[in-house]
Amino acid sequence: MQQATGINSTAAARGGVMSSLAAYGPTYGALAALVLLIVFNAIFTRNFATPDNLWNTLLQMTPTALVATGMTLVIATGGIDLSVGSVMAIASALAATLIAGGTGVGVAALLALAVACGCGALNGALISGFRIQPIIVTLALLIAGRGAAQVISQGGQLIPLNNPAFGYLGRGYVGPVPAQVLIMIVVAVVAVFVMRRSSFGRYVVAVGGNEAAARLAGIKTHRTKITVYAISGLLAGIAGLIETARLGASDAAKVGLNIELDAIAAVVVGGTPLTGGRATVGGTIIGALIMQIISMTFIMNDIKFSWSLVLKAAIILIAVYVQRPKVA
Amino acid sequence: MMKSSNHTRRLSTIVGILFALASLTMTSCVKQEGGGVSGVSGAGASEVAGIKKEGKLVIGFAQMENNNPWRIAETNSFREEAAKRGHEIVVSDAQGDAARQVNNVEDLVTRRVDVIMLPPREFEGLSPALKAAREAKIPVFLIDREAAGTSGEDYVAFIGSNFVQQGQRAGEWLINKTGGKANIVELQGTSGASVTRDRKQGFADAISKSPDMKIIASQTANFSRAEGQKVMETIIQARGKEITAVYAHNDEMAIGAIQALKAAGMKPGTDVLVVSVDGEKDALKAITAGEMNVTVESNPRLGPLAFDTLERFRRGEKIEPRIIIQDRLFDSSNAAQFVDEAY
Repeated sequence: MQQATGINSTAAARGGVMSSLAAYGPTYGALAALVLLIVFNAIFTRNFATPDNLWNTLLQMTPTALVATGMTLVIATGGIDLSVGSVMAIASALAATLIAGGTGVGVAALLALAVACGCGALNGALISGFRIQPIIVTLALLIAGRGAAQVISQGGQLIPLNNPAFGYLGRGYVGPVPAQVLIMIVVAVVAVFVMRRSSFGRYVVAVGGNEAAARLAGIKTHRTKITVYAISGLLAGIAGLIETARLGASDAAKVGLNIELDAIAAVVVGGTPLTGGRATVGGTIIGALIMQIISMTFIMNDIKFSWSLVLKAAIILIAVYVQRPKVA
Repeated sequence: MMKSSNHTRRLSTIVGILFALASLTMTSCVKQEGGGVSGVSGAGASEVAGIKKEGKLVIGFAQMENNNPWRIAETNSFREEAAKRGHEIVVSDAQGDAARQVNNVEDLVTRRVDVIMLPPREFEGLSPALKAAREAKIPVFLIDREAAGTSGEDYVAFIGSNFVQQGQRAGEWLINKTGGKANIVELQGTSGASVTRDRKQGFADAISKSPDMKIIASQTANFSRAEGQKVMETIIQARGKEITAVYAHNDEMAIGAIQALKAAGMKPGTDVLVVSVDGEKDALKAITAGEMNVTVESNPRLGPLAFDTLERFRRGEKIEPRIIIQDRLFDSSNAAQFVDEAY
């Protein structure tokens, strides 16, 4: 998982060794920061370097990492998806309401994921088909989606959900590995593979690099964009179900609140530029890990939480500064 | 990035959408309840400070947010009490935004409601709203939280709980139960909220005379169940078995902490005592199940007391500046009895 991956549209086109090395640069910066943070904590934070805490860290970052993986693909096309938190809430409220109403767990979860995926596809269709800016389309769904989730859950009431089969998603273990961490690892590995090896991965960065050129080169840009937003919606849906299972309740007013910002921060710190044309899923996972460990450092040492926000902001700015485009 | 030929068209689309969004939010903000003819009472009804002495009133309830069980119970309490007494009630929802709440109050003033009941989002920042109401001679009652201003001048009175006292009672219960010796994890509410300050203060006051009552970690979890769970998990990683008690500023965070404790193989309610404030249904259930020890009530059903006060005000009685509702304490002896009536 620590294996950093980068892909660059020009690198992919030329297959040049030098340019693909350049794409690794920002990711190594993030990796260095992560190593530094871990070493610092291992020395100064009591009980940090324990197996329990490793799982706890991965457990807590799972929803953000899932959402950030989808966000990486969206940002690689030059877009952005602000609606992920609200899509999480919709999936959560829908699954909880269906299960409370007697629907089978599998059916309820699949329906919720289908709706989440549909929300994403709708974003993509509006952005691609009507040429409306991604930030506006997904902002609209951010607002409307949260409302819809609260309507589904009868005015934002917390729906308790004590179904053991569903709870496994948030509390189950496969050997020593929490089930949700396993999901995150699988998703991350598949995403890394898709972005590095598949033609779809190349289409995504090509659309972000130069949409007109990509279209002229025969890439179905509409389909690529819709797929990317649908993936983002689907991953947000999975994150929503995981949060719900972990909490043992669906809290439509709060689940996924502000997660889009954490996800964007993880993407940026990980080395994917907001201008599109490049994606490093491995970097995003490292970015999410950095943000998670900063939060934990402050809580475990009982330092006022507000300071961690300041530090996170500083790290985001430094990351963007390090990755700023070099004048050729 | 953007082609200039498309620029104007895109810009106008964006502006159009923003306007549509803005108007949507605005219209959804003020919802009218009850309906019927607005209160026209008998001609020549005498007025006290701009309020009709007799007959039906139109009451504006400027709720700060309506997305958690406590707030929903509070809003319902005001709706039910208004209906019971034959008044009309107009409810607005500021969605947790202090600036939007000022707008909502100003909208209510423009609508010429007879009374405004206002649960302030924040202590500061409402003065323009209070001023608008005062200029229109509409009396304002502050509900459940206080706001900057003078009673009898900017507003009639504050009606609610004493949050400092809630924290004190939680602290005193814990001292009695543990014999004055505990390693406490405090889960704070939203930073800067007056409730957070007061509940922290009251608890600190109560334990200040017991040197062995130690707060070993104090972190915010934003009054949220999910964050309570996450923050508690991390604190358990750091302090583990040292922890003997949890004090949460509300029940939601306490329930999150209980789940974290259970996941870590610790027994909430016995290994680790859990005390909090609010008295919501899920907390009473947890107490009945033996996983939580005590919750100090913070009663959201302020409607009856508020409307009683309003009646006294209409009769021209002098109203005391702070009217405090009597909060109960729920533990294993009475939780089962009250669980059905809890919100």
